[in-house]
Amino acid sequence: MGAAVSGAVAIVGAGPSGCFLAQALLKARPDLCVDLYDRLPVPYGLVRYGVAADHQGTKAIIRQFERLFERQGARFFGDVEIGRDIGLDALRARYDAVALTAGLSEDRRLGVPGEDLPGVMGSGAVTRFLNDHPDAAEPGPLGRRVAVVGAGNVAIDIVRLLAKGPEELEGSDLSARAAGWIAAGGVEEITLLARGPASSAKFDAVMVKELGRLAGLRIEAEAEGEGPAAEALRAVAGRGAGPKRLVFRFGAVPAAIEGEGRVAALRLASGEVIGCDAVVTAIGFEAGDNLGRDALRAGAEDAGRGRLAPGLYAAGWFRRGPRGTIPENRAEAQEVAAQLLADLGPGRAAPPPPPGAVDYEGWRRIDAAERAAAPSGRCRAKIGDRGAMRALAAGEEVSP
Amino acid sequence: MKIVVLYGTETGNAEMLAEDVAAEIGGAHDVSCRNLSDHAPGEFEPDALYLLITSTYGDGELPASAQPFAARMAAERPDLKGIHFAIFGLGDSEYHETFNGGGKTLAALMIAHGAAQIGERVAHDASGPDLAEDLAFPWAEEAIALAEGRLGEAA
Ligand SMILES: Cc1cc2nc3c(=O)[nH]c(=O)nc-3n(C[C@H](O)[C@H](O)[C@H](O)COP(=O)(O)OP(=O)(O)OC[C@H]3O[C@@H](n4cnc5c(N)ncnc54)[C@H](O)[C@@H]3O)c2cc1C
Ligand SMILES: Cc1cc2nc3c(=O)[nH]c(=O)nc-3n(C[C@H](O)[C@H](O)[C@H](O)COP(=O)(O)O)c2cc1C
Repeated sequence: MGAAVSGAVAIVGAGPSGCFLAQALLKARPDLCVDLYDRLPVPYGLVRYGVAADHQGTKAIIRQFERLFERQGARFFGDVEIGRDIGLDALRARYDAVALTAGLSEDRRLGVPGEDLPGVMGSGAVTRFLNDHPDAAEPGPLGRRVAVVGAGNVAIDIVRLLAKGPEELEGSDLSARAAGWIAAGGVEEITLLARGPASSAKFDAVMVKELGRLAGLRIEAEAEGEGPAAEALRAVAGRGAGPKRLVFRFGAVPAAIEGEGRVAALRLASGEVIGCDAVVTAIGFEAGDNLGRDALRAGAEDAGRGRLAPGLYAAGWFRRGPRGTIPENRAEAQEVAAQLLADLGPGRAAPPPPPGAVDYEGWRRIDAAERAAAPSGRCRAKIGDRGAMRALAAGEEVSP
Repeated sequence: MKIVVLYGTETGNAEMLAEDVAAEIGGAHDVSCRNLSDHAPGEFEPDALYLLITSTYGDGELPASAQPFAARMAAERPDLKGIHFAIFGLGDSEYHETFNGGGKTLAALMIAHGAAQIGERVAHDASGPDLAEDLAFPWAEEAIALAEGRLGEAA
């Protein structure tokens, strides 16, 4: 084991928060053993499975995280779910400190009648499918008219991917399967429904401007009021010739989803009925019961500094809730790292790797296979199957 | 040569690059590397070359770690006559018209206070094919070559 190790920290979740936390810990204390566990055989969380396939520049922070494993000495233990494969208490017994950076992945529900009709899908389920997440099933068919509920960047990501033409996906890593699902939908009209006025829309102006550049999209928006999002909407409204049409509707509060056996319409609180073949809800995420988050937070002694209990910390979406971009996670991870290090006494040596875990070398083999298999116009062909990932990681030949 | 690498960052790409640049040129020069958030406008020295590396955020603005520096420049209005700097920006062409706005803004800020830019501003594109260091190492070498003999001359 590492000769000069003077403390061992486990991080649960190798998404951006976990990686930034490890980076800050090892920068301050290169002697530490820092192990990142993830329930998936692959690292990077929502950078790989949330950030849109056509936003590869945003995914470029992965280069920093590679540095973390290749030079800073962090270890990756993938395919190990804490709370199932190893209990949280058992993990805490092996390390001087444990940090939970497990994110939040359940789609928040609208809470209106008809929400369980076929054709209603959550943005998490949709974006995981579009990113080839191994747990994501193909959502049901889309259809000609799609309603997207929500006014955040995730709603805009979905609209953009539904609206893009094939040439606009050059250089992305959108899979043939995902592109096929979108194409089969035959989407002609997208209505984005936001509860509040345009002035309180949460999406970034740059995201709206990007929609304004799409060749095949005609945008209609009655955006009143102040604010960068509203201004950006006014600037793109009326632009583009189609054939696809995108309509922004503000002050539109969904009251019910209607249909016989599948979605046919969305009824607003105003009584207005909007005909649609599919509804995508993009109104945020929640924790589910992952790692007993609610109980841990309820008993937290100092949650403000990211400390849940002695030797137990939290950061990222798991700590703050499903809000905030990648930059915010870095700033927060640095604070939590400082707190963790201030609390850390003389520590123990690195524990042995858990049996069966996919290590960083295993992930490198998956990564290399995905890049090598990239079809023309794509930067990568993601492997969406756990079994194939495990086999590749173990050095077996797999044809993707 | 005395060289100070200063970076403005938000998600750490510029910080990693700044450290790489400092390591790359460190053998031949007296190099230090620090965050712009830790650098006061009054600390610029005419006998040093400043290699500035910054990313871009928001709608073409400076990243979080460069914001306090910009605010202090505005408040303290330092006279940077005789100070030499080179500028390297990180950005993402996904953001189109605001591409690399941070690097532009930082260079303009230095020049507005009398500092002299050495060489061309180089822009890295996170969505492009190049690794940042493949652009930044030659940029730094060129800035050093151009700075030879110029440092301290106008002081
Ligand atoms: C669809 C979508 C698009 C986004 N696009 C952008 C964008 O373009 N730009 C931007 O700045 N931000 C974007 N964000 C926000 C950004 O993704 C988050 O800020 C960030 O990912 C939060 O990081 P995290 O590490 O807290 O959580 P996550 O990224 O969710 O990472 C959590 C990790 O923990 C693992 N895990 C969960 N439970 C366990 C367990 N029990 N045991 C072991 N491992 C576990 C998961 O597999 C995952 O890898 C987007 C978010 C979404 C949902
Ligand atoms: C929220 C956000 C906004 C951004 N805005 C811009 C922009 O307006 N122009 C640009 O060129 N790059 C923009 N970028 C890209 C970053 O500048 C680029 O990813 C850079 O490599 C980040 O470096 P850093 O990690 O040092 O902050 C943005 C990135 C994010 C996450």
